[in-house]
Amino acid sequence: MNYDMEDTQNSAPGILPFAQASKLSGSKKIADAQSTTKRLQTELMQLMTSSAPGISAFPSADGNLLSWTATIEGPDETPYSNLSFKLSFAFPTNYPYVAPTVLFKTPIYHPNVDFSGRICLDILKDKWTAAYNIQTVLLSLQSLLGEPNNASPLNGEAAELWDKDPEEFKRKVLGRHQDIEDE
Amino acid sequence: MSANNMSDLDAQEALAREYNPTLEGPLVGEIRSSLAIAVEYAKADPIYVAKTAALPQKYSSYRPILGDGNCGWRAAGFSYFETLLRLGDAEQLEEEVARMTSLDNLLTNVGGFSSYIFEDMVEETTGLLRDLARLMPTSSSAASDLLQERFNNPEVSNAIVYHFRLLASARIAQQPDLYQAYITDDIGVDGYRKGWLEPVNQEIDHLGMTLLIDVLLKPIGFAVEIVYLDRSEGTQVNSHIVQPEDANGNPANPGGPMIHLLYRPSHYDILYKEAPPLPAIPNPAQYANVQIHRVASLPHQHVIQNTPMAGYPSEIDSLFSIPGFTLLQPSPRDLPGQFQSPIEHAYAASPGPSISPISAEASSANTPSSTGMSSVFSSQPPPPLPKPGVTSSHQQFPQGSALPVQSHLPPSRGPPLKTQPILPSELPSRGSAASTFRPSKYEWEAAADWGSDGPVQFLTSTFKNSHYNTAHYNNPNFQPEEWTPDMDELPSTRKRSSG
Repeated sequence: MNYDMEDTQNSAPGILPFAQASKLSGSKKIADAQSTTKRLQTELMQLMTSSAPGISAFPSADGNLLSWTATIEGPDETPYSNLSFKLSFAFPTNYPYVAPTVLFKTPIYHPNVDFSGRICLDILKDKWTAAYNIQTVLLSLQSLLGEPNNASPLNGEAAELWDKDPEEFKRKVLGRHQDIEDE
Repeated sequence: MSANNMSDLDAQEALAREYNPTLEGPLVGEIRSSLAIAVEYAKADPIYVAKTAALPQKYSSYRPILGDGNCGWRAAGFSYFETLLRLGDAEQLEEEVARMTSLDNLLTNVGGFSSYIFEDMVEETTGLLRDLARLMPTSSSAASDLLQERFNNPEVSNAIVYHFRLLASARIAQQPDLYQAYITDDIGVDGYRKGWLEPVNQEIDHLGMTLLIDVLLKPIGFAVEIVYLDRSEGTQVNSHIVQPEDANGNPANPGGPMIHLLYRPSHYDILYKEAPPLPAIPNPAQYANVQIHRVASLPHQHVIQNTPMAGYPSEIDSLFSIPGFTLLQPSPRDLPGQFQSPIEHAYAASPGPSISPISAEASSANTPSSTGMSSVFSSQPPPPLPKPGVTSSHQQFPQGSALPVQSHLPPSRGPPLKTQPILPSELPSRGSAASTFRPSKYEWEAAADWGSDGPVQFLTSTFKNSHYNTAHYNNPNFQPEEWTPDMDELPSTRKRSSG
């Protein structure tokens, strides 16, 4: 009879294995915190070496990699041509599994941006994917300037004027735009 | 519409868009009896009642997955690792490391993803495979604990899940013709990838599940049975098996490992046909329960411990006459050699009144005795669990023969909780006034847990595993244990009365 076996089977499972498992995962924790930083550093390198025209982004001066400032140029042949807009990016610690919070710092008159600079864009909300990055967000925002989504406006007046009175729209855009100082 | 109204509506819409229901519980839960699903639906539509009542007959247990939008991905992903563990082949785990690494090419060349996007995620997948391969030969229970822990660590879990999303997304890009007929909206393959596969918390749809199975599970011969629990007609759940097939449409790997997923509209959990292959991390409360049971059911323990062998009272001899019966924590020298085991040494070495269930647990964690016990744990492969319905190994005893064991159970331990032989027809009427005893939902769930992993719950002796124990589901007088605070008092009371 194999009593050793019997008793092993029936003893409380997992006390020691659990301890082992905890030990194994202890070293993991550090790696997790690093992966967001590592990802942002990679994105920074890419933006510096091969940035698309009309967009740029850089971590804020305070050395916090989770906070960036970006600039996009208004596309030609839109009411925003020849204007530049500053944006702030705040990255959560679980980036890229959660989208960054992006705000227009430069005042902008746009159907999908409210007066606090908050943006309504699906890829920054429920359609965010971890395969997007700062550059894809900036390119999307740039194209949003020329092609607003008037079906779900944050600024109802702007949505209405976009269709009805392009000239008045352009006037409002220029009236609201105001270059802001670098921080 | 005035501008004011407009912005109110906008604000409401914005709130609705950002509303997230509060989610509670672990990402990947503990295995529990699928009777719990029947309880959940006991007051639902009759179709659900019938289907869920029939469910436990076919699938004894299930593992709940948090409904955070990733449940389908996580359920299939967890099952992938768990099935690899169940197969117990460390080499296959290493092969999977190689396969996952080589799929990076698919992600880059076909999926169009830059490597910096996925390399950290792939690292979590391959790292877990490696760690499991390393742990499994020595302790597969440690391996399964590690699997569950990693899957409940959001960073690791989400990285692995996202890796699998990217694989599915690359898979559809690899053979769009094969799948695009299943894309219902007019969004095309690219739109489907960006709108349904890649968004972080987007629930898996049927095409997504098919893609995931095709890229992750089929190539290694794993089949997936998806069990649909919905309001379609019938008294049984419908199920659909997705498996590797040869050119003629026959199963390419018949008899191969199969994963069972329970699908309820927009949610996936994992189902198990039999007792899970590996014990889950013990719930401390359950552990305490079991220990208490050992003490409470053997009222003569103190006598045994404190009496030299020659002085055993006669009724104890009758206990010894049960083959395989071992006393619980007597010191080794008091016992005939055949009853000794490393575990008993370990228990006996712990100081103080080790019969106290709590102190036995606590002391084993911080005394030298724990090392003795640990070495036993890690050096032994985990026991194959007896399947429910299969009688224990002690069949030389005719079932139902009268043995004194039952008479040693404490006389009163509250109303009996009936779990195992529960009939589907009893479920809807559980709340009726006719029944003499109505356990609360919570007690009932606890009892259901006992039913599901009963065989592993009896911690020490062969006796505990035999059907002569009334707490064994094969016992004709089956009566699950229930912890009550009074139990703690029992040993001392008895000591006084017998001393």
